[in-house]
Amino acid sequence: MANLSAKAKSMSLKVNWLVERVCVALLVVLVLDVWLGVLVRYVIPLPLTFTEELARYLMIWMALLAVSSGIAYREHIGVEFVFGRLPAPVRRWLAVAFDVIAFAFFFALFWYGLGFAAKGFSRFTMIYGIPKGYPFMGVPLAAAMACAQLALTGIHDFFAKEAPASTGVSEATMALRENN
Amino acid sequence: MGALFVAIAFFGLMALGMPVGFAIGVSGMIGILDMGPRFMQMAPDRVFAGLDLFPFLAMPFFILAGEIMNRSGITLGLVRLADALVGWMRGGMAHSNMVASVMFAGITGSATADAAAFGNTLVPAMEKAGYKRPYAAAVTAAGSIIGPTIPPSTLAIIYGSIMGVSIAGLFAAGILPGLLICGTCMLVIALHAKKKNLPKGEGRPSFGIVIKALREGFLAALLPLFILGSILGGFATPTEAAAIAVAYALFVGGVIYRALTWQDLYEIAVRTTRITGVIFLIIASATILGWWMTFNRIPQAIATGLLSVSENPQIIIALILLLLLVIGLVMDINATLIILAPVLAPLTAQIGMEPVHAGIMIILALNISLMTPPVGACLFVLASVTGEKVESITKELWPFILAEVGILLVIAFWSDLTLFIPRLLGL
Repeated sequence: MANLSAKAKSMSLKVNWLVERVCVALLVVLVLDVWLGVLVRYVIPLPLTFTEELARYLMIWMALLAVSSGIAYREHIGVEFVFGRLPAPVRRWLAVAFDVIAFAFFFALFWYGLGFAAKGFSRFTMIYGIPKGYPFMGVPLAAAMACAQLALTGIHDFFAKEAPASTGVSEATMALRENN
Repeated sequence: MGALFVAIAFFGLMALGMPVGFAIGVSGMIGILDMGPRFMQMAPDRVFAGLDLFPFLAMPFFILAGEIMNRSGITLGLVRLADALVGWMRGGMAHSNMVASVMFAGITGSATADAAAFGNTLVPAMEKAGYKRPYAAAVTAAGSIIGPTIPPSTLAIIYGSIMGVSIAGLFAAGILPGLLICGTCMLVIALHAKKKNLPKGEGRPSFGIVIKALREGFLAALLPLFILGSILGGFATPTEAAAIAVAYALFVGGVIYRALTWQDLYEIAVRTTRITGVIFLIIASATILGWWMTFNRIPQAIATGLLSVSENPQIIIALILLLLLVIGLVMDINATLIILAPVLAPLTAQIGMEPVHAGIMIILALNISLMTPPVGACLFVLASVTGEKVESITKELWPFILAEVGILLVIAFWSDLTLFIPRLLGL
């Protein structure tokens, strides 16, 4: 059973490997796009109007996709005060229950997000004039990735030898990780 | 009945340890489900609309710039500069801790990041110089909330974006409160210096040493000056200033200091996307819950409840502060801001407060809760870094908490002080 847990963790990291690179690529394009916007506003007066709209959509895609990355590394901020003081078996069941509840939340976002994105194809963005369905697709796609990570994390939590010490990280732990 | 379920899910899940972004999203979804399945499509719609704000772009950029500056070690010069300026006094290292917090504030804007950085560096140095560890940790915790008060402040960006208040105005209004916190905490240190027999520095530094420290800290100090100057001067929007700050940090860290490798840059980018994801999920989820609350006229009910206690503006302000300080004790401040801002902002307008004044008061109240027990994030960072008990740090922290609550009251009830700089700059 511990083997299943290890496999789930390894699969989670593999999926995250790809998501992480996509997020970094989106961030790089986002930075370049906003720099271009600054450049055409202050230095080279070119009639480029797309930078602001593109930047918003890139930011949303990047941030939403990174949600699944945060799940893979348990970096979503939580209040660990009670959870950390519970006995190991209770922690395990609670962690799995949280994974299942969060899965249901993201699945609903995915399911209804598909309809939301589909409807978006009949609406057009203000500047580009492209169907809004493309930027809207970021919601169901990110929700699907979050579901995948939550399923893998749930399997890992359920079969792991030791009960999870936390379900996320407190803001404090996160700051410490950043600092190390 | 639906409201009861939402409240139970919201507080129950969060208290038991479910990540804040999930717990808020789940409770919002329960609320929408209770209204009827046909409303479910509002959830993805709200997620997208809640994030589709251009000013939000400033957040990942400021996070990125701060990460680059920290990773390349540029910020160390600021600590040396602070020490050269005030380190010679009795309790000099505690004073320089405060001054360095102000300088860092213009770069990172994160209380927990500052607490972690200072907890690892300044607290051991203070201990070595003869300060008691809990006191050194308490000074660091007290100074850490200057970060998100002085611009650039993530909370100001969020508040300004969702409430339609000028972010530049909020940035300008945050300067004086941040400096006041620094000054008041330095006063607390000075008052305790003799009683606690705090160590004295090695005497005033020579002019040459100050100049050397200025030169070392110059490149790092230039960044916050540029950010503030360009935004407050009206030359750039916060997003543009943040984007230029990234370019500047990359140039200084990569070209001048040569302290960044491609691997460093990749890791910085990964960290930035992940931190952004964590914050944006909280924002998106809070937007779902916020929509449900608005649809069910809950903000109006809370406002009516508060106004039924009294119609006296001073009492209403006091109640708002009490509410924020109490909720901030146990809840993430970003989520608190997104959920409560739409409730409190109209209320403050009703009693005649300026939007910028109300915004900075709410932000400062939430910042103070970062260092209050039982779950203040900065307090926990310092307890973890220094290995000191939360209780022993708290014992030393009380004078600072009281001083900062005092500043909060001054800011809340003396609008002319808060609005002095925004008015001066015509914001």
